[in-house]
Amino acid sequence: MNGIHDLGGMHGIGRIVREKDEPVFHADWERRMFGLFIAAFAGGHYNVDEFRHAIERMDPAEYLTSSYYEHWLHSLETLLVEKGVIKEQELEAERAALAKGGSR
Amino acid sequence: MTLLTPDMVPTVVKTGASTRRADEAVAPRFKAGDRVVARNMNPIGHTRLPRYVRGKRGVIHQDHGVFVFPDTSAHGGGEKPQHVYNVRFETSELWGPTADRRASLYIDLWEDYLEPA
Amino acid sequence: MSAEHHLAPETGPALRVKAMEALLREKGLVDSRAIDLLVESYETKIGPRNGAKVVARAWVDPAYRARLLHDATAAIAELGFSGVQGEDMVALENTPDVHNLVVCTLCSCYPWPTLGLPPVWYKSAPYRARAVSDPRGVLREFGLDLPENVEIRVWDTSAEVRYLVIPERPRGTEHMTEDELADIVTRDAMIGVAKV
Repeated sequence: MNGIHDLGGMHGIGRIVREKDEPVFHADWERRMFGLFIAAFAGGHYNVDEFRHAIERMDPAEYLTSSYYEHWLHSLETLLVEKGVIKEQELEAERAALAKGGSR
Repeated sequence: MTLLTPDMVPTVVKTGASTRRADEAVAPRFKAGDRVVARNMNPIGHTRLPRYVRGKRGVIHQDHGVFVFPDTSAHGGGEKPQHVYNVRFETSELWGPTADRRASLYIDLWEDYLEPA
Repeated sequence: MSAEHHLAPETGPALRVKAMEALLREKGLVDSRAIDLLVESYETKIGPRNGAKVVARAWVDPAYRARLLHDATAAIAELGFSGVQGEDMVALENTPDVHNLVVCTLCSCYPWPTLGLPPVWYKSAPYRARAVSDPRGVLREFGLDLPENVEIRVWDTSAEVRYLVIPERPRGTEHMTEDELADIVTRDAMIGVAKV
């Protein structure tokens, strides 16, 4: 698709910003997200092409302003719901319970 | 669906999941040195042909062999295994006559993205 | 609800990831200990030191260099590195006349077994946009000002082949052991945004 991800040759995107002594993961949730992706992939729930395309389908503004592992999170949430592995309501219920400070 | 357990992790990490399909006997359409043009295709679905090379003329640098085709694989359309070529493009072809002439672009393109030039 | 008060995780991605992992665990679809192991592997074990060993071996052993340029996947596997996002490797040799630079304009494809996980800048829009259209300018931003006669070859990792740049061996290193040579090979040099 002619999406926002197809960045080759674009102008005005900004300066290349580098972090000194950058860690592999910037937060614990990034660690978990990385592992979840590989585990779900190894589990055969989607292939890498489906995974990439789900990221490409993100809202363009969200794509440009969110972090890399947020792209992965978006893709995993999208694909697992689309494929019927989980239900949107189940995910929302889990989030609501965690936000309250407990578990279901 | 498999559950990935800790004992499986080292093997999974070391083996990976190549999308090469070496067993598929697919005759290549192109060979190194052939002049090709990237198709002007604009699929709504997944593709790995970036806009900046579409319609541009290049030369086959190398045949990588046969791989799963992402344009179909991303949409439940099967693997459609085919040759992937590394294609060299001159920067003037991609960006116009003022482009840096001492630079060139090499990109991996599936056979379905290419036509003879 | 119990009297115990759990600290709620921050909202946003942390909450969403926690919810996803909990849900998938409940459904028996993920084993959290496997995730722990994967994280440990890529955070502490798999990194650019692997690629540096490949480069150092190529510098000291011409026969290995030849094998590396002919079939990088096999040559890299000789040193024990292989697997996820490195199943099909190609090595790109820098020479006095040719400097190679690797990018993935469409996402973030990167040779994990030899370089570990990619840095944020490699995956970000500015590098992906500009590496293919202004490589000389990008290299200058990284502090590398190449002479005009050096050809820059930019490789867009658009398929499943993964690229590893073999930088030139610097002068004055003739006395160094292979281990000492591996110590000086940087990740950035193996992407192509730096020289050693």
